[in-house]
Formats: sequence, C-alpha cells, structure tokens
Amino acid sequence: MYFNYLKTALRSLIRYKLFSFINIAGLAVGLAACTLILLFVRDEFSWDNHWDRAEDIYRLETTLQFPIGSDRLSAFAPDPLKDIFFDTFSEVEDITRYMEGSLSLRMEGDVFLQRGLLADPNFFDFFDLEFVQGDATTAFQSMNNVVISERTATNLFGDSPALGNTISIRSQGEFRDFTVTGIIIDPVPDTHIQHDFIIPFNRESFVGSRWFTEDWRFMYRSVFVKFAPGTNVDLVRAALPGLVEQHRPKPEEQAGQESGRNMLLHLVALTDAHLKSHASTADPDVLFGFVGLAFLILLIAVANFLNLSMARTSHRAREVAMRKVVGASRSQIAQQFLGEATALALISMIVAFVLVELSLPYYNEFLTAVVELDLVTGPGVAAGGVLLVVAIGLFAGSFQATYFALLKPRDVLYSNMSPDHSTGKLRTVLVVSQFTISIALMVGAFFVNKQTDYARTLDLGFNPNGLIVVAGTNGDRSDTFKRRLLENQQIVAVGRSSDVPTRGSEDRLTMRPVSGEDLVTLDGLPTDPDFFRVYEIPLLAGRFLTDTEADLLRTREGDGEFRSAVNVVINKSGAALLGFVDPAAAVGQTIPTNLTQTRYLESTIVGVVDDFHFDSARDVIRPGIYYLDERRQSEMTVRIDRRDYDAGILALEQAWRETFPDQVLSYRNMTDLVEAQYQTEDQLSDMLFAFTVLAVSVSCLGLYGLASFSVERRTKEIGIRRVLGARFHQIALMLLWQFSKPIFIAAAIAVPVAVYLVTNWLSGFAYRIDVGALPFAFVCLVAISIGWITVASHAFRVARSNPVEALRYE
Amino acid sequence: MLKLHNLSKVYRTDEVETVALDNVNIEIESGEFVAIMGPSGCGKSTLLNIVGMLDSSSSGDYVFMGENVAGYPESKLSNIRKQNIGFIFQSFNLIDELTVEENIELALLYHNIPANVRRERVAKVMDKVGIAHRAKHMPSQLSGGQQQRVAVARAVVGDQAMILADEPTGNLDSAHGQEVMEMLQALNAEGTTIVMVTHSPAHADYARRTINLFDGHVVTENLRAAV
Repeated sequence: MYFNYLKTALRSLIRYKLFSFINIAGLAVGLAACTLILLFVRDEFSWDNHWDRAEDIYRLETTLQFPIGSDRLSAFAPDPLKDIFFDTFSEVEDITRYMEGSLSLRMEGDVFLQRGLLADPNFFDFFDLEFVQGDATTAFQSMNNVVISERTATNLFGDSPALGNTISIRSQGEFRDFTVTGIIIDPVPDTHIQHDFIIPFNRESFVGSRWFTEDWRFMYRSVFVKFAPGTNVDLVRAALPGLVEQHRPKPEEQAGQESGRNMLLHLVALTDAHLKSHASTADPDVLFGFVGLAFLILLIAVANFLNLSMARTSHRAREVAMRKVVGASRSQIAQQFLGEATALALISMIVAFVLVELSLPYYNEFLTAVVELDLVTGPGVAAGGVLLVVAIGLFAGSFQATYFALLKPRDVLYSNMSPDHSTGKLRTVLVVSQFTISIALMVGAFFVNKQTDYARTLDLGFNPNGLIVVAGTNGDRSDTFKRRLLENQQIVAVGRSSDVPTRGSEDRLTMRPVSGEDLVTLDGLPTDPDFFRVYEIPLLAGRFLTDTEADLLRTREGDGEFRSAVNVVINKSGAALLGFVDPAAAVGQTIPTNLTQTRYLESTIVGVVDDFHFDSARDVIRPGIYYLDERRQSEMTVRIDRRDYDAGILALEQAWRETFPDQVLSYRNMTDLVEAQYQTEDQLSDMLFAFTVLAVSVSCLGLYGLASFSVERRTKEIGIRRVLGARFHQIALMLLWQFSKPIFIAAAIAVPVAVYLVTNWLSGFAYRIDVGALPFAFVCLVAISIGWITVASHAFRVARSNPVEALRYE
Repeated sequence: MLKLHNLSKVYRTDEVETVALDNVNIEIESGEFVAIMGPSGCGKSTLLNIVGMLDSSSSGDYVFMGENVAGYPESKLSNIRKQNIGFIFQSFNLIDELTVEENIELALLYHNIPANVRRERVAKVMDKVGIAHRAKHMPSQLSGGQQQRVAVARAVVGDQAMILADEPTGNLDSAHGQEVMEMLQALNAEGTTIVMVTHSPAHADYARRTINLFDGHVVTENLRAAV
C-alpha cells in the first residue's frame, strides 16, 4: 500500500514538473537561506568555546569613569590585579596575561611584520594550544624562546625545519634573537586570540619596567582568570568594587591621575569576549535580528509549501475519491498525504543542504569566516534539520490530509464543482502573509542600505583622499623621517598625532565653561603644528598652533616639564560646550584644563577649528581640544599629491628605507581606515539585501503557483466571459487585479509595521536619513510589479485562449 | 440483496429544499440485472449513490444483505462497500498517475491481500476484460472503450457481489458501448448483481428489469423476459 502511495506521489510530482519544482525549490531555498543565516549566527555565538575549560575562563576588563562625559572602556586590566586576585579569591586556579602587537621579525636580512603575543610563562598551560613540534611545558624555559604558528613557520622557513632555529624580533627599538622551541597550529578564525608567534613577556625589555607591571594607571595586557569548576563568579564580581577601593592607590597618592576618577572591574566570560565585552567585534542584537530574519524566511517558505500543496488539491481529488470508493479509510487517506508532504519536505531539505554546501565557499569568503555545515561531525544540525522539516511536512500535510479525509467521493465523482473552493481563502491568506513579510523585508533592506550609503556620504570634516598613516614612527628618527619626506614634491604635508581619525582618542579633559557651571569633558588629542593642515580641517577663528615654545605643552629642555600656561586649539563643538556664542568669541580666552592629569594648566584658546569625525562616523562628533605634546606623537599622517600618488608612495618607501633600514614600513590609506568602519555594516546590509531577494523570490514562487492553479480553475468562467463578448484586455486586467489584491492587502499591513521598525532602528544613529513616504511607495510598486510579472504570463495565456476550448475543458 | 423502504433524500441549501428521492421502495434480488431510467434530474444518480453507500438517505430504511445500513457511520459504510460493491462511472474515474494494472490493483489495496495474490487476481481479471496487453499503459494512452474496460475490471477484481454502473456507456461510441454492455451481461450471468443507470433504452434492454424514475418517484417497473 505504501509503495502504491509512493508511486502515485512520485508520478504526480513528475507529471506536474513545474509545480513540483516550485514546491521543492521554494522550500529548499527557504531552508537553505535559513540554514546559512543560522550557521553564521551559531558561529558568531561560538567564538572561543573550543578552549579546554572555556566555561571557567574569564577576562578581566575595566571601565574608567569620569565625572562628566563618556566612560573609557578597556578590555585590558592593570597588572597588579594578578597577585591581588590570587590573594583575595581562593577560587582562582590560574591567571595568565599577554600583550599583543605588530612586531618586526628578521630572517636572513628580510624583515616581516607579524602579530605577536608577549605572554606569561603559563600561557600554554592556560590555553590548550596544540603543539605540532616542541612541547608546551618546555617552550618558555628561556626568555629567549619563541613559539611560532605553522603559517609563520612556512613563511619564514619554507620546507626547512624551523625548530631550534633563530629569529630576530624587534622589541622596544632593538632586535633580539629568539630560538624557536615550538610550532603550534594556526589560530582558528573564531577566536579573538590571534597570533603569528608568541614570546615570553619580559619586563626588563620595556623602558621604565617597574611602572609597567606595578602601576594601576597602565593597562596594556589582557588578563585571563581561570576559576575552579563550579565557582559562582557573580559572588566574585560582587567583591570587585571593594577590591578596587582597597588596593587601588587614590589619585592624590599616585602622581598623574591618568586613571580617571573611578575604576570598575568586570569579569567577562571568555566565550562572551567576541560579543559582549569591551572589545566586542560584533553586536548580539544584530545577530538576534538575523535569527528573526531566518525565521521570517522560513515562514515564507512554509507558507509557500503549504499553499502549493493545497493548490494541487483539485488534481488529487479524483484519485482520493476513487480510493475511498474502493475502500480506503479516512486514516489511510490522512496517512497518505501526511507522508507525502513529509517526504517532499525531506527532499527539499536534502536539496537545501546541497545548496548550502555549494554556497558555503562564497558565503565564507563574503563573511571572511569558516562556517561549516558539519552534518557528520556535529549531527545536531542534521537532527535539528530533520525534526524541523518533518514538523513542516506534517503541518503542511495536515491541511490536505484533513481536507481529503473529510472529502465526500460523491462531490468529486458526480459534480463539476471544483473541490478546492474551501481552500481558496486560506491560500489567499497565505499569499498575503508571504507578501506582508516580503514587503516589510524589502522596506527594511532598503532603509538599511540607504542608511549605510548615507553614512558613507557623511562629511567627515577632513579630506581622507591621499592621506597615508604610517605606523611606528616614534623615536628620535621621526624628525629625520619627516624632513626626508618633505623633500619630495609629491608629499604635500606631514603631521603627527597620538591617534588618528577613525580610531578615537584616549584623553578626556575637564574644563569649566565660561558661565561657571559644572565641569565639562572634552576629548583631548596631542598633535603637532601641522596636523590640521595635513587633514585639511578648516580654521574657523584665531590661528593654528605653531612650533614655538609658547604653544608647547612641555618644555623642550630637561625632563619635559609641563609648562604652567599653554596654548590650545578647540573644535566648534568644544566652543559651544564651553558656552561661547561663536568660535571667534572663544579665541583668546583662558580656561584651566587638567592637561597634566594632576594639575589644571592655564590654557589659552588660540584657535577654533571646524568639527571633524575622530571616532566612528556613526557617532556624533564630540567636543575636542588639541595641544602640542611632543612626547605623544606616535602616528604620522602623510598627505600625498593625488595627481602623483604612485611616485609619492615610492618616495615614502625610499625615505623609510633611508631612515629605518631595519624596520618594516607599515602604512594604511586613510580611505581604507574610513572604509573599514563601514565594512561590518556594509556586510550586514548586503546580507540582509541578499536574503530579502531570496525571500521575495520564494514569495513569487508561491504567487506563481497560486496563479497557475487559480487560472486553471477559472478557465470555464473566462470562456463564458469571452463568449459573452469580453475583450482580451478586460480579461487580462480582471486577472491581474485578482492577483494584485493580495499584494495591496499585504502592503497595507506591512507598511505601518515597517514604518515603526525602521523609525525605531534609525533612532540609534546620530546622523540618519529621513523616513519619507516615497521609499514605501517605491517598495510597494516594486512588489506589485514583481507580482504582475509573476502572474502576467498566466493571465495573458488564458485571456487569449479559445473560449470553445475553455468550455470544453469542464 | 437489498431493499429500500420509504427512502427519501432531501437536499437543503439556505433557501431551497430539493426533494431528490421521495418515498422510494425498491427491492433487488441477488443476481438481478436492473436498469434505472428517467430524465435528467429525476434522482437516478442520487439513488445509485445511496445504494452504493457514497451518500446517505434523509429518511427511510436501506437494508443491505439483511442489515439496515441507514444511519451507519462513514467508516462502517466504507467497510461494507469495499467488501461488496464495485463502481463503474460514466467518466471512468481512472487515476491518471497509475498504470492500467495499478488502477485495477487499487481495488484490492485496502483489503489486506498479499501482493502476489493481488497480482494474480489482477492478471486474471485483465485477461477477462481483454486489456492484459495494455497492463503497463497509462489511462491517457487508452481509448475510451479501453478505459471503461479497465474500470469494469477494477469494479469486479475484488469479487464484489454487486456492481453499480452510472451511465457506463455515456462517454462511449455505440460499438464500444455495446462491448461494455456485453461484459456486464456476462458478469451478471456469472451471478453478479448489476444495477445500472442509463439513458439508452437499447442498453436498458440488457437488463431483466427496468425501474423508471420521475421527480424522485418510482413510476413504473418493467420486468422483461429473459433474453
């Protein structure tokens, strides 16, 4: 009997090839899209959970709070906390720390820039990195050992053995020799602990080594704590404020209160480092949004599947009636159709998995990830898929099963009545739902895309074209390098600063407004006199800072003592915050500013520049203050003449070789840095767009299916209309209207919901596009056009057909 | 075989009440060949549906093989039907997706008969109606007459005691129509009870008794001498 069911089902599928294709493809595409999204989300949520005892490991992070203005968040923690933690909490099993940075590696004259970790000796006990060669226990026996990853071994040594060989690594201005004592597998992409090599952290190689590890004000290392299994970390967390209070030197005890007023400590689970930490690289809310998207696509696909299954009812009614006549019971009929729908859904799932496998390489390239459909190694996905699909099959099949189980054979065998009148309404509801979701998604994708584009067109306040940011220029050779650069006519200007736009600044300075109200906070940035000229930031009032003694923060002679009175430049927002009616009013005013962190210096505003973006372009521009600190100008920005760009780069490389022969030149285009800010959002926007296209396509498949069967059902009616004199265009319009109606209803439901969601989402942006009526009208027009294109062929075919044939059909 | 006593069937819609059968009393003996005639809308098909247990009466009794089945639930009717009654329709009602063989086998599928037995019986009945050479064909590849022969085979493969034929020749030309009638006659000769609705007086002549319906009433019953 079941073989007979299978045979009938298969032949029916083959007979209505297009229909079967639409039915299977619709669900398969929906399932594939859903799977791809969920794989991406799962990957994002599973960062760093591959480590041994990952659930017991926490990263110690900090927040520095200032009386006014924004807090400074850091994923690092002060070094002294290690001993304090061991002394305070018996639950602490182990603590390890590392500092990371790009360091130059030298091998037989070639210099490479590589990402290195300067780690505590217990690093390899703490993190179970797999050694390909060498041994975790002996790797760090000497301070001059280095452990490299496989890719570094290949880069540096090729096929020859690396173990026991020597590499020179430049640290704190000089190259030192390190012996390779271990080779470990490359870090997986979904961990934030990325490295090319790891060397033991050696305090002695840092200038002023004592403060580095004993001072609360300096935080340069990631600190990881491993607790005993079962530790209630919340209790530890509760004790942290008291711990800071007890151990952290009060600002007056410790000269230079770099450290802010108040420090908060946080224990962030290692597995949350990617999503919920001070160094998060992704937003969990966005990921939940994508889970929602996956669900909506699945909903569309299921509605589609259900719709098309029911559309086929009329074709199967005769068969069912006959089966009943010869004795099939209701439950047998129900079983047949439940089984059929489930089998069809399972086929769709197999197709979906094939689609996912085929698209994964491109998907991973797009996401720069290694998402995998691990059906064999992780049977959870396969099992989940089968369960879901069986549920979909049973759900979709249940409608047909119920309908057919209750079908009276007499109604089919003896009447001309089409048996699917009762399902027509439900099917329209399904198409309306599909298009409601589709239109809402289209509106969403449209606005996300527009907003992303808009962020890109925002005036940064400076001209990024032709700007090159050169790293590692601090030190005494910096002036020589700058002079050499400026000897070239292609180099327009060179400026230095402690940070560059897109990266944000570290300093938060407090000043008192002219009105005498409460202190306000401004973002501080140490620069050199040429900074604003290089970035082409307009001067609104007064003058730029100059290379004269009066404009300097510290004296040039001796230890670089702070001067008691300095000149500063502020930006337009800063002037407004300080209570000046316009930029010109600020010029010449003297306001005490805590430029040294211990003392308020008499700061005279000599100039006001226009606002420019220093953090993400997504954030609102903050008030800023700029001063000349010659000790904090580690970043060099070079403006190259755009007309002679290549020659400018050559000149830059030449000047570097002459000045820093033993170092790798590392530079980035400012346009790339700006672009990188948008990259994640662009990526997500593109992803939303792609999946919206898929969702709309699946909806169209549904509409196409509905149209083809509906038109078939109305053949007789149309024949009669034709006989009675209806013209071709009247019939075509009538049919088009029939299929436009569900889309109009869908639009009426989708638009208000979309307006609400889009407005809500946009309110998170400081600079955002307006929500006008036009985009909604546009999207509705697109939806209706897509709908028309989908059903037009049916409408025209039927409208043009010979009425005699149509009437004979019944 | 069966006895209808004061049987009525009323169709009700919101506004109209249509009496399809009005106090019909009919008795059909085992082995009879009965033709039911009458103009369109007189209730022929309704009568056949009720006799075939595809429909139920509004009032009155229907005694089938000594059992009053009026008011039986669908599942019970379905069981009695599949054991005893075979159907032949004007429009054949073959399943497009199944071959000739499989269409005939369908009638045995819900009887718990082992596959090899089913195949034997299907082969036998195909021989009997002369369609064996078309066993693997699909219905769409057959002529109308051939399709109706398949339908006849399907109706009798389960050794049904009674066959209900609703205008079995309505869609056929005269030659094929005659062929089908001869087949029914032969079945009757073997003892199968046959109840046939027809418009054709010529085909009604194959029956031993003709019941004439008009507006839901039995108007005449003609008994013919054996042909």
